[in-house]
Amino acid sequence: MRKPALPIASVIVLMAAALSVPGAAQGEPVRVAEFVADCGLSHRLADDPIVLPNLAGASHFHDFFGNHSTNARSTQQSLEGQTGNCNPAADISSYWVPTMYRNNTAIAPTGITFYYLGEGVNNPAAIQPTPYGLKIVAGNAKATGDADSIARWSCLHAGHVNPSKNFVECPAGTMLETYLDFPQCWDGRNLDSADHKSHMTYPVAGGCPSSHPVSVPKLRMVLRYPVNGSTAGLRLSSGTGQTMHGDFFNVWPRAEMERRVRNCLNVVLKCDHAGNHG
Amino acid sequence: MTALLLAGLLLPACQQEPPPPPQNSYGATERAFVELAIATDEQALKLVELDDNPALIENRKTELAELRKLLDAPYVNHHAGHDMPGMPTDAEIQLASTSPDALKQFVHAHLTESLDVLRSAGAAITHPPTAEVVDLMERHRAAELAAG
Repeated sequence: MRKPALPIASVIVLMAAALSVPGAAQGEPVRVAEFVADCGLSHRLADDPIVLPNLAGASHFHDFFGNHSTNARSTQQSLEGQTGNCNPAADISSYWVPTMYRNNTAIAPTGITFYYLGEGVNNPAAIQPTPYGLKIVAGNAKATGDADSIARWSCLHAGHVNPSKNFVECPAGTMLETYLDFPQCWDGRNLDSADHKSHMTYPVAGGCPSSHPVSVPKLRMVLRYPVNGSTAGLRLSSGTGQTMHGDFFNVWPRAEMERRVRNCLNVVLKCDHAGNHG
Repeated sequence: MTALLLAGLLLPACQQEPPPPPQNSYGATERAFVELAIATDEQALKLVELDDNPALIENRKTELAELRKLLDAPYVNHHAGHDMPGMPTDAEIQLASTSPDALKQFVHAHLTESLDVLRSAGAAITHPPTAEVVDLMERHRAAELAAG
């Protein structure tokens, strides 16, 4: 339950710092299949439009990135035509994760990057645009330990700290970061499913299985939190660090998504925020 | 491969949201509410049993029985271990077992927070049998809060 006096940190829109990935404007193009969206925290609500549709205030708290309008009642129709806070601005998709707390104080991530990658499948030329309106949930909100978790926590600028499925203690001057890879094989029919998972799966040995034959971009979420030192008192609204999960509701304009898949992923080139390569 | 390419070409015509369920049916919102309410009441039952309050215990048990009748598939607890409104956590139940003040505070928080969720559900749910259970649960909480 919420603590009656829970001080919910004021929600400040924090645009992510400019990504420090070197541009490929000069010299040879970088042979990595990638395009990117950097987003900020848009708002915080006890809503979940995928798991608890239309039930405003019924969820644990989530941090919402991207589309400013996302709430429990969001649909493909309600999200389209709205604005968001991602770079590129064209990406008005909704992304959300459980809120992080130190004791009862919410902590917002200050680096929020969504990579769309061509890795994980042997034939990137066959990658199709992410279907408009597709909903994906990644991670296990019900994880009870390492064995049933795919979370990954590490330290930015402290590679000697071994990654873990739970929070790690990061040295002073570094930041706690988490990576989450979304499933990239689609069943070709359903934009959602009753368990919100079975319409998507992960590739096997570099290919999408026959049950989920359509290869779509691999979404990798990277969040950086202004946290280091002891992990005492750290928690997510879903529990331990192992319960880290992410939700994605795709409303990239179709043409913008298609152009990036064609120009960046299918031909294995690293693109900038505008979807252009060097 | 040819089939895959063809599938790719045909994709735009196939991409459909699941068709909206007919009005007044047991749809995604109802299913989500029932699963959430069962998870909440199961935790709440552990809490109110500490209070030895027969009315609260009986009401939660009645609600759980009515909620389970609405399920259209085997129940899965999607919310175990989460910090959901109105749902006492295991840590809170543990604390309440040793502190009467904490118990009183957590029972009150359970009632007020779950009442907020029920009001939200009442505005969203169109399936009459589910709406009846929402009404029952709202009435229970209103009476329980009034009884102090």
